[in-house]
Amino acid sequence: MNQSQSINQTPVGTPAGPLEYPSSPGVLDETRGADGALKPGWDYLLDSIGNLGAEVMRQREQKARRILRDDGASYNIYGKPGSASNSWELDPVPHVISSEDWSGIETGLVERSELFNLILRDLYGPRDLIRHGALPPEALYSHGGFLRACQGMQMPGEHELILHAVDMVRQADGTMCILSDRTQVPSGAGYVLENRTVMSRVFPSLYRDSHVHRIANFYQRLRLKLTSLAPSGDIPRIALLTPGAHNETYFEHAYLANYMGFSLVQSGDLVVRNGFLWMKSLDGLKRVEVLLRRVDDEFCDPVELRPDSQLGVPGLLEIVRNGRLVVANPLGSGVLENAILLKYLPKIATQLLGRELRLATVKTFWAGDDADFEHITRDFDNLIIKRAWRAAGQASVYGGDLDDNQKQALLADIHRHRYHYVAQPRLAKPCIPAFNGTALEPRANLLRTFSVATDSSYTVLPGGLTRIATSTEGQFISMQEGSPSKDTWITASEPERVLQADLDEDQPRSLPETQADSLPSRVVENLYWMGRYAERAEASMRLLRTVFVLLNGEEPISPEAQRILLQTVSQATYTLPGFTAATPEQLANPEPELLQIVRDGKRSGSVRSTIESMLRAAEESKESLSTDTIRVINDLRDALDNLDADLVGGLASAPEEALDPLVTALAGLSGLTQESMIRSVGWRFMDMGKRIERSLQTIATVKGLLSSVGGEMDQSVLLTAMLTSMEALMTYRRRGRERHGMELGLELVLLDRSNPRSLIFQLERLEEHLQELPTSDPAAGELDEEARALLEATSTLKLTRLPHLLQTSGSTRPEVNALMTQLAGLLREFSRFISDKHFDHRSGPQQLFTTIRGVR
Amino acid sequence: MRYRVRHSTHYRYSARVTSCYNLAYVLPRDTRRQKCLSSRVSVSPQPAITRTRSDYFGNQAYHFEIQRPHRELVISVESEIRVSHPDQGLNLDLGISYEQAVQQIRKDRSQQALNAREYLLDSPMIAASEELAQYAHQSFAPDKSLRSCVADLTSRIFSDFTYDPDFTTIATPLAEVLEHRRGVCQDFAHLQIGCLRAVGIPAKYVSGYIETLPAPGEEKLVGADATHAWIAYYCPDEGWVEFDPTNDTPAHTQHIVTAFGRDYFDVTPVKGVIFGGGDHPQLSVSVDVARLEEAAP
Repeated sequence: MNQSQSINQTPVGTPAGPLEYPSSPGVLDETRGADGALKPGWDYLLDSIGNLGAEVMRQREQKARRILRDDGASYNIYGKPGSASNSWELDPVPHVISSEDWSGIETGLVERSELFNLILRDLYGPRDLIRHGALPPEALYSHGGFLRACQGMQMPGEHELILHAVDMVRQADGTMCILSDRTQVPSGAGYVLENRTVMSRVFPSLYRDSHVHRIANFYQRLRLKLTSLAPSGDIPRIALLTPGAHNETYFEHAYLANYMGFSLVQSGDLVVRNGFLWMKSLDGLKRVEVLLRRVDDEFCDPVELRPDSQLGVPGLLEIVRNGRLVVANPLGSGVLENAILLKYLPKIATQLLGRELRLATVKTFWAGDDADFEHITRDFDNLIIKRAWRAAGQASVYGGDLDDNQKQALLADIHRHRYHYVAQPRLAKPCIPAFNGTALEPRANLLRTFSVATDSSYTVLPGGLTRIATSTEGQFISMQEGSPSKDTWITASEPERVLQADLDEDQPRSLPETQADSLPSRVVENLYWMGRYAERAEASMRLLRTVFVLLNGEEPISPEAQRILLQTVSQATYTLPGFTAATPEQLANPEPELLQIVRDGKRSGSVRSTIESMLRAAEESKESLSTDTIRVINDLRDALDNLDADLVGGLASAPEEALDPLVTALAGLSGLTQESMIRSVGWRFMDMGKRIERSLQTIATVKGLLSSVGGEMDQSVLLTAMLTSMEALMTYRRRGRERHGMELGLELVLLDRSNPRSLIFQLERLEEHLQELPTSDPAAGELDEEARALLEATSTLKLTRLPHLLQTSGSTRPEVNALMTQLAGLLREFSRFISDKHFDHRSGPQQLFTTIRGVR
Repeated sequence: MRYRVRHSTHYRYSARVTSCYNLAYVLPRDTRRQKCLSSRVSVSPQPAITRTRSDYFGNQAYHFEIQRPHRELVISVESEIRVSHPDQGLNLDLGISYEQAVQQIRKDRSQQALNAREYLLDSPMIAASEELAQYAHQSFAPDKSLRSCVADLTSRIFSDFTYDPDFTTIATPLAEVLEHRRGVCQDFAHLQIGCLRAVGIPAKYVSGYIETLPAPGEEKLVGADATHAWIAYYCPDEGWVEFDPTNDTPAHTQHIVTAFGRDYFDVTPVKGVIFGGGDHPQLSVSVDVARLEEAAP
C-alpha cells in the first residue's frame, strides 16, 4: 500500500554502483553452466541490469507496479477478497533461456502435446491403452476427471486437446523435467501477455537489444484455431466462459477476452435454446459457436455433470455432442491431469508414438501398484504425496514435513484409497536472480509453458510463466501463497527475423462487427448500476459535505434546521430510518451516525457501501471499461482504503476534506465516461443509471429540505444547503441580483434547462436515451410503459407553477411534498420497466426433483 | 415372455417453468436375455429438441429440451420387450469358486474382464467401507461356488432388512441403510453392490421394472407395477449374473431391464434442470407391465 513511499526513500545500506549477482556456492543456479561461467543470454542480461544499478531498477520496478495496477492486474487469493495482496507480482528481472536451449524444449513440448492429444482421444474412444495393457483399468476408472458422459465426443479437426500447459523445473544436468500438465482450463497465458507488455515498456532498450522472441503469434494461433473449429464454418462468435469476478485468475479472463476479441461471459449470460448456444444481449440472443472455457469440467453442465453447479450452462454437453458448439478445452480433458498417467507415460508413449518422450517427466509412484505402494511406505519421508485427482482443499504434502500422527493418518488413508494417491520425489528447484529492492538474490523457480493446437501440430509459446519462491531459502512456489512471477525471455544471438505476415498478425485485429456490437446483458446491467452507484455516492458526499460545513460553521443553526438537514441526509442516502427516528439528543449530537453513514461498509447506503457496490459493478463490466477508467477506479479504491485514516479526527477536523479524494475520483470517472467512452449501448445504460439516480437524489433533497417551512433564518440555511449540494449556489447568487428566494432556487434545481444538474435536464437526457435503445421502434404507435412513465414525469414537471408549488399550509409545503413523491414514484417505475425489459432476471436453474423409487 | 410396459412420470409444479433440460433413462436397452422390440416416448408439453443416443454403458439415453412455459411435465413411454430366461445354470453349487473368481478377475486380460474391473471401484453413491466388507464377509467362503455365495448374500439382505419406503430418501447414505437395516429396492441394490465390491467381485446396478402378479383370485391393477432396481455381478466364466435382493431371487423373466450403471446416479430415470417451478413440485409415477400373447412362430 505504501508503494509511493519507497519510491522516494533510498533504503539504508543500498550499495551504490552496479548490481552484482555473485555465484553462490552450493546453490543450484540456472544462470551458470558446469564451468561456473554465465550461460549465453544471462551474461548479457546480468551485465545490462548490473549497469542500471539498484536505484534505476527500483524505479523500473515501481513503474512496472504502476502499470500493473493501472491495468487492474490481479490474482485473487482465496479467503482474502480485496486484500492488498491480490495485486499481480512481477519481478523485474526476466528469466532468460537461450534460443538454442529453447529449441530442444520446444520440440519436446510439441511431442508431449501430441501425445496427450492422442491419450485424450483414446480414453474417450476405444481405450486401447487399457485393452493393450499400457494402463491398468483402475488408473483411469478410479479418476474423478474421467467423465463417462463425454464418451465418444470428438472435436472437429486433428486435435482434441487445444491448449496444453506444462509445469517444469530445470535439473542439475541442464535438462528440463516436467512435473505436471494442465489440460482442463490451463491458466497463465494471459498473465504472460501482461508481463511481457509491462516488461517491454519498462525496459524498452534492454528488451529490444536482447532479441527476445515475440509471443503475440501464440495468441493469434489460438484465435485462428478456435475460429477454425466453428461448426458453421463462418466467422464465429467466440466467447470466453469465466466462473466470475471472484475467480483467482479473473483478471486474465477479462484481459484475454479483450485482447482476442472474445465475448466475456458467465453462466447466466448463456442459454441453450433449440439445440444451440446463445448469449443474451440487449438486442436479443446471439449464437455462440465456440466457447473457450475457464470453468472446470464437472461444473460445465448441471444436467449431466455436477447437478449443483451454478457456473455452467444446462444442456451444454448435449449440444456439443450434436456438433452445434465447440468447447475448448473439450469437456472431460481434466482426465489428462491424472497424475497416475505420469507413471505409465513411457509405456503409453511407446504404444501411441512408437518412442519414449524426449523431455523427462518426474518419477511417479502410484499407490495402486503393489511395488509402488511398498516404495511409498518405505520412502515416505522423501516423497511428495499427491492426490491423483486434485480436488479443492487437497494440497499435496511432503512426507518429511509431517509429524508421526499425521504420517500415520495419511498412510492409513493411502492404504484405504490406494488408487487415489501418487508420490513423487521432491526435485530441487534451481535458482535464478530476482531483485529484492536492493540487490539481486537467487530464488528457486518453476516454469509453465503453453502449447496450442494448430492445423497439423502444436505451436509453443516462446516463453512462459516463470514463478519464483518468496525468499532465497524457499523452495515452495504457489500463486496462492503470493509467489512472484517473471517474464520469460527466449533470447537469440541474432535479432529474430520478423515476417511481414507475423507483423500483421501482431496488430490487434479489428473485431468483426458482430462480435463488438453486443455485450452480454449482464455487463450492460452492471454498467447501469455502476452509473447509479457512482452518482449516488457522489450526491451523498456532496450533501454530506454541505451538512458538515453547515454544522461546523461559524453561525450556529437552529435545532429545527439541523433536524431537517440530518433527516434529509438519511433520506437521500437510503440509510433510513437513521435520523428520521432519532431522539432529540441524537439529533443534537449527530456525529456517530454521520460517521457511520460515511464509513460503515456494513450499512447499506453508506458512502463506503455504495462505492463498494459501484466497484463490484465495475469489476463485472471491466472488459468494457477503458484503461483510463480502470485507473480512476483504482484511485477510487485507494481513496476508499484511506478513508478511515482521513476521518480519524472525527467531525471535529474538517471532515468534508476527508471526502475530497473520493469526490474528485468520482468526478474524474464521470468526466471520463462522458468524454472518452464510445457511445455504445453500454455507455447509454451507464448514463441512464446516472441520470435516474441524479433525478432521485435531487428529488429526495428538495423534498427533505423544502417540504417544511421554518423561520426565515432556517429557510435561508436550507436553501443554501440545497443549492450548495447541487452546485448551484454561484449561479443563484449571480442571478439573485434580479430575483432571489425560494422560487429562484427551485427553478434552478428543477426547471432550468441550462443547468446540467437540474431535474429537467436529467429527464430530457433520459428521453434521448430511450429513443436510441436497440429495441426502440420510432414508428410504433402506442408508447411503451417506460416511455409513458418518463413522459408523465417530464410533463408534470414542465407544467408545474413555482408559486403554486411553494404555497404553504401551516408549517409545510404540501405541493412540494406531493410533486416530489409523484416524480420519485414515476422514476422508480421507469427504472423498473427498463430493468425488466432489458436485463435478464430469470431465476437460476434448479435441479429437477428426482425421486422415483421402486417397490418390491 | 413378451411384455408391454407403460411408464409415465408426471411432474406438477407450484409455479411456471419457463424452460427445462432433461435426460431420461426410460427406454429399455437390449441385454443378453432381453430384446426391446419397440419403444416410444412422448413428452408433454412438446419439446423443442429430443434425441436418443447410446451412452457409455450402452444404455438408451433420451434427451429433451422444452422451451414453452408449463406447470406440468409428463413423460410417457410405451415399450414392448421380449425377455428370456437367464442362460446361467440354476444349480448353485456348480461353477467357479469364490477364491478362483477373485484370482481370475485380477489376472484375466480379456476385454470383458478388464471392463468389469471398473465395477470394483467406488462410484458416485457407493463407497467402500469396513462395515460393508464385514457384512459381506460371512457369505463368502473361498471354496464355495461364487454363485452360492452371492445367493447367500442376497438372502441375508432379504431377511435382515426391512422394506420401508418412508425411511430413506435418495440422499440417504449407505451407512445409514446398513445401520438401520431399512430401505427400498435401490438401497438394497446399492448395499449388495457395495458388499460385492468389498469382497472383490465386480457389481453393477440394474434399473428396470418387475412384473407383479396379483394374489390368486384377484384382479391385477393397472399402474400398480413399479420401477425396480437390482444388481448384476461379474463371474469370470458366466459373465454378468443378475440377482434381486429385494425379492431374494435371481433375475428371471419378470425382470425387465431399462439400464445398467455403476449405481443409481448413472441411470436416474429422469433428471435435469428447470428454470422456475417454485418449491415443492409434486411427482407421480405409474408403471404398468402387461404380458402379451407370444406371437405365433
